[in-house]
Amino acid sequence: MTNDTAGGQRIAAAFAAARSEDRAALVLYVVAGYPDLETSYTAALACIDGGADVLEIGLPYSDPLADGATMQHASSAALRAGATFDRSIELVVRIAESRPRVPLVPMCYANQVIGGGDGRAAARRLAEAGASGIIVADLTPDEGAPFEAVAREVGLAVVYLVAPTTPRERRAAIANRSGGFLYCVSLVGVTGARRVLPSDVARLVREVRAASPVPVGVGFGVSRPAHVRALVKAGADGVIVASALVDALGKDGHDLAALGALVHELLAATAVPS
Amino acid sequence: MTITGRPPAGPTAGGNAARRDRRGVVGQIADRRLADLRPILDALDRRQLARRLASAPEPRPFALRLAAPGLHLIAEIKRSSPSAGRIAASDDDVVARARAYQAGGAAAISVLCEPHWFGGSADDLAAIRAGVSLPVLAKEFVVDARQLDLLRAAGADAVLLLAVLQPRRSLARLVNRALDLGLEPFVEAHDERELEASLATRARVIGINNRDLRSLNVDPERAPRLRDQVPDDRIVIAESGVRDASTIRGWRALGFDGALVGEALVRAGDPEATTRAFVAAGRSPADPVEAARAPFVKICGITDAPGVTAAIRAGADAIGLNLVPGTPRALSLDEAVSLARVARTSAPIGNRPAIVVITADRTADDLNAIAAAVDADAIQLSGDEPASLIVELDRPAWKVLHLPSADVSRTGFAAMGIDSPVGRPATPASFAGTARTYLAAGAARIMLDTAGGLHPGGTGTRVDALLVAGVAREVPITLAGGLDPANVSGALRVAAIVGVDVASGTEAPRIPGMRPRKDPLRVALFAKRARAARTDRPNLAARPTPVDPGILEADSHGRWGIHREFGGRYVPETLMAALAQLETAYDALRHDPRFWSELRELLATFAGRPTPLYRADRLAAHVLEQARTASTGGSVPEQLRLYLKREDLAHTGAHKINNALGQSLLTRRLGKSRVIAETGAGQHGVATATACALLGLPCVVYMGAEDIERQQPNVLRMHALGAEVRAVHSGSATLKDAINEAMRDWVTNVRTTHYVLGSAMGPHPYPTIVRDLQRRIGDEAAVQLDAVEGRLPDLALACVGGGSNAIGLLSRFIGEPSVRLAVAEAAGDGIATGRHAAALAGGTPGILHGARSMMLQDSDGQVVEAISASAGLDYPGVGPQLSALHQAGRIELAASTDDDAFAAMALTAEAEGILPALETAHAIAALPRLLAGTEGSGAPYPADALVLLGFSGRGDKDLGPFGRWREARA
Repeated sequence: MTNDTAGGQRIAAAFAAARSEDRAALVLYVVAGYPDLETSYTAALACIDGGADVLEIGLPYSDPLADGATMQHASSAALRAGATFDRSIELVVRIAESRPRVPLVPMCYANQVIGGGDGRAAARRLAEAGASGIIVADLTPDEGAPFEAVAREVGLAVVYLVAPTTPRERRAAIANRSGGFLYCVSLVGVTGARRVLPSDVARLVREVRAASPVPVGVGFGVSRPAHVRALVKAGADGVIVASALVDALGKDGHDLAALGALVHELLAATAVPS
Repeated sequence: MTITGRPPAGPTAGGNAARRDRRGVVGQIADRRLADLRPILDALDRRQLARRLASAPEPRPFALRLAAPGLHLIAEIKRSSPSAGRIAASDDDVVARARAYQAGGAAAISVLCEPHWFGGSADDLAAIRAGVSLPVLAKEFVVDARQLDLLRAAGADAVLLLAVLQPRRSLARLVNRALDLGLEPFVEAHDERELEASLATRARVIGINNRDLRSLNVDPERAPRLRDQVPDDRIVIAESGVRDASTIRGWRALGFDGALVGEALVRAGDPEATTRAFVAAGRSPADPVEAARAPFVKICGITDAPGVTAAIRAGADAIGLNLVPGTPRALSLDEAVSLARVARTSAPIGNRPAIVVITADRTADDLNAIAAAVDADAIQLSGDEPASLIVELDRPAWKVLHLPSADVSRTGFAAMGIDSPVGRPATPASFAGTARTYLAAGAARIMLDTAGGLHPGGTGTRVDALLVAGVAREVPITLAGGLDPANVSGALRVAAIVGVDVASGTEAPRIPGMRPRKDPLRVALFAKRARAARTDRPNLAARPTPVDPGILEADSHGRWGIHREFGGRYVPETLMAALAQLETAYDALRHDPRFWSELRELLATFAGRPTPLYRADRLAAHVLEQARTASTGGSVPEQLRLYLKREDLAHTGAHKINNALGQSLLTRRLGKSRVIAETGAGQHGVATATACALLGLPCVVYMGAEDIERQQPNVLRMHALGAEVRAVHSGSATLKDAINEAMRDWVTNVRTTHYVLGSAMGPHPYPTIVRDLQRRIGDEAAVQLDAVEGRLPDLALACVGGGSNAIGLLSRFIGEPSVRLAVAEAAGDGIATGRHAAALAGGTPGILHGARSMMLQDSDGQVVEAISASAGLDYPGVGPQLSALHQAGRIELAASTDDDAFAAMALTAEAEGILPALETAHAIAALPRLLAGTEGSGAPYPADALVLLGFSGRGDKDLGPFGRWREARA
């Protein structure tokens, strides 16, 4: 079991709390510094206050090769607006201080935290800022061991991903290494809201769920209450919505009302059918 | 069971129904044959048969002919067959057809002698044999030993024996009977069980038939799969399922000695021309790179004139005449003199094997006298001679070092560091050290004698093989002891030995009281197996590489470097399965000779390889002048011989085609139906579009919008080739962003799509794949340079962006400590301005596009945009192997600004009439500064410097920006 970190236990507890209310955990996402630092802070609070059980905080990256158009745009806009690692850390601190109940999980690319080293400094700073876990889009357990070790030292859970292309035995191996929860990628492709999810996603969720000792959150493409209901029905412990929230913020990224409305609908869809 | 072709004319006889069923069609034929022949055989008059046998023509050598290098064609004549029905008109002139096969270069003729299904007869055989000078194989269903006598009497030189028709014992008996008659038995098998039975006989020629004679079904992968189960000391023939010449080429690459071809020749309109095409496809490749990788072959312990002749016919590089008294093959001085004379007079002029006298612990005077008497080319020192003896010798000395016997090593000899016979602990380092002592004293060759042999079996085997491999990677070693035709290729594949030496392994069975004698067939097979061991296996080391393994090859995780700090696989999980599949597929292909043989053929006929090596004297004069100007007081070479490796002359105008063709073939093997690629300057895009057009694959190329602007001609070419070019507007809209977008496409379409990455970068195994496909550049250049200069260059230099051209040129020389390696990065506006693309000189380690490597980034790990006028170098990263080479201090760095590069482009065009690509021009521009020592390590070059420059591409695509640069300057 990998939930031996303080952060991992906090995340798992958040999933368990949702489960005790007969609903799947709602994992929402903001891009740090998009469209600007202050608005991203407000958006984060709106997500949490609207019902997020876990909040992912995207650290904008110059070359987000796992991301679709929405996140590419938000990332580069945030960087242009002056987002840096230091400012993202400050954002994490502020969110953690004002909403200490909800675990925060930054999401980023390997070069932002590991780069040429082992990631010790970044892991420590994130943990000290109040993050519970971290998702690194281009890090798999194959390369992740050194980073896991330094993250564990500071109580940070390393969340790994499984994809529809992940062979069965590998899914189980990844699940056993993942901290906090296991990120199940719903589709073969990059991030971004989709109108429909793949037809075989329910089977994928069932299989991953059965193989995982930690809660399973399902993301990529999830944008509508109907998606959430389908995933919850398939047994997802949590649903992850990201690009759709950024889309909801509108062209200039300031439409917090639309964001709030979407969050409200999504939360309602998380109820586990009795 | 349906039988096409002529049905049997009468009731079958003999054999019960169950047995007939199990043997299927072939059983029916055999039973019928027995019924036909029994009355004739029973009526045979023994005396008459003996007379006919005595008057039969002398057998023509069949096996020896097939033991010559390459794959040989056994062309078959039949009038019809159960699988194809009637093939030729009954009045078809079979003798004329056989003559056409002979004229086309066939090595032997196979003649069907069965009348009912194949329309053949022993009369056909006799007539054909009389009409040609080739050996003739009797294709008969032998069910009774007396058939062998009849066939030999009819003139047959070899006879087919089908393992499926015989119980083991009778198969062995038939083989023995045939050998006694001088009739070469050709034993044919179709599956493992039959093959095992065939190998249990004394047959020297084994056929593997892709066709199951019971069902007549053909499985074209049957023979390829079973080939490795036949020991290399047998001659192996593949049969059935020839599609075209490429099938023959594949069989040759897999190590078959012959192809028995029937219908494919008959179906062709012009039998002679088809034969010629098949014979050509069977030849060993006449590729200088392959020749340079073939080992030196010495046939030792020759005791008589036929032994000398056998060695010469086998093309041995050296023959050894033993003058160590008391050993089994010892000759008197007179005998040695006389055998040396035979060698000198009978060998082809200019191709005589070196004559080596084998000695042990003699004085210098003694050795000089012996060498003079024999007129030896070299003296082999097999005793405990000190290195100091070598300087006293008049002729080149070859020193033998003795490895412990397998028995000793089995006890952990090497691991325990017990003293070896040369007085040092038996470790690779100690042997290499001893070898270096002798080499430094002037020894021309070091032989490593493994005593018990490299493969004696038992646990000792591995210790020895490891020890030998360890020594061979440090110093050039000729391996001796325990080698034979069956194991020599294995030895050459596990250790980077440069030569092999054989004595007892090529001998006929010993006759007590007689001196050992050579078996010409084993001598020929030994030389053939040794020479072919590394053919079409470009990824096996063929010479020492005494450098850290981390800068030569990735480990199993794809990590490079002395501390394995570069490379790896940092990608989204969605791609991991595809990378694992690619890795598995490529691991198999890396050492699959059929793949490399097919690729070489394509590279030669389609892409124009080998590309020329051109000596650019006028450019060299300008470079020297610039070097003197640039010099800050250090020494500058007085002369410069500058050789350009002309990749600009490869099809599509750059080195990129090497990789694109290879990966397109790989796409087929992966079973994927769509190709994507990224491109910077457009050269990789054009090359991939070209390869995809050739192989009929749909192709999408991602290209930065800015690059589309500056490389318009290549965009048009890609369109013309049927590729779709997708503009990428994100980020800097250059190569880096094109790679991001290609990765996104791949993440989305990974199940159907192969991503043909264009540079030696990206997640494992891409850096290895692209390097392997590009290393031919340096492999060719080294051979070409050696042909005109007799040595390796002092400096090898290439421009570097992602690094495919650089690693392609430099790979060959990484393990050659005498060769300095340098790369020229793009300095853009100048490294000091921060506006450049020099990831090695101006970058730090980070993770970009799936691997850890040197890259341009800020303190937050954000990728910094590269700046260069050259779209092909305009990339913020560099491949992990180059990063490792840099970290290890094995490559020297230089950088050229946009302005330097445009000026070098102009200079090269005017001085040599060659317009280089802007990328290439960065290397040309950097050379004066490297020679002056103001960039690179600063160490001086020899007064007469020999430089190899990777001329990666042609500059037509850059004419627009080049024109604007000229206008701006004017």
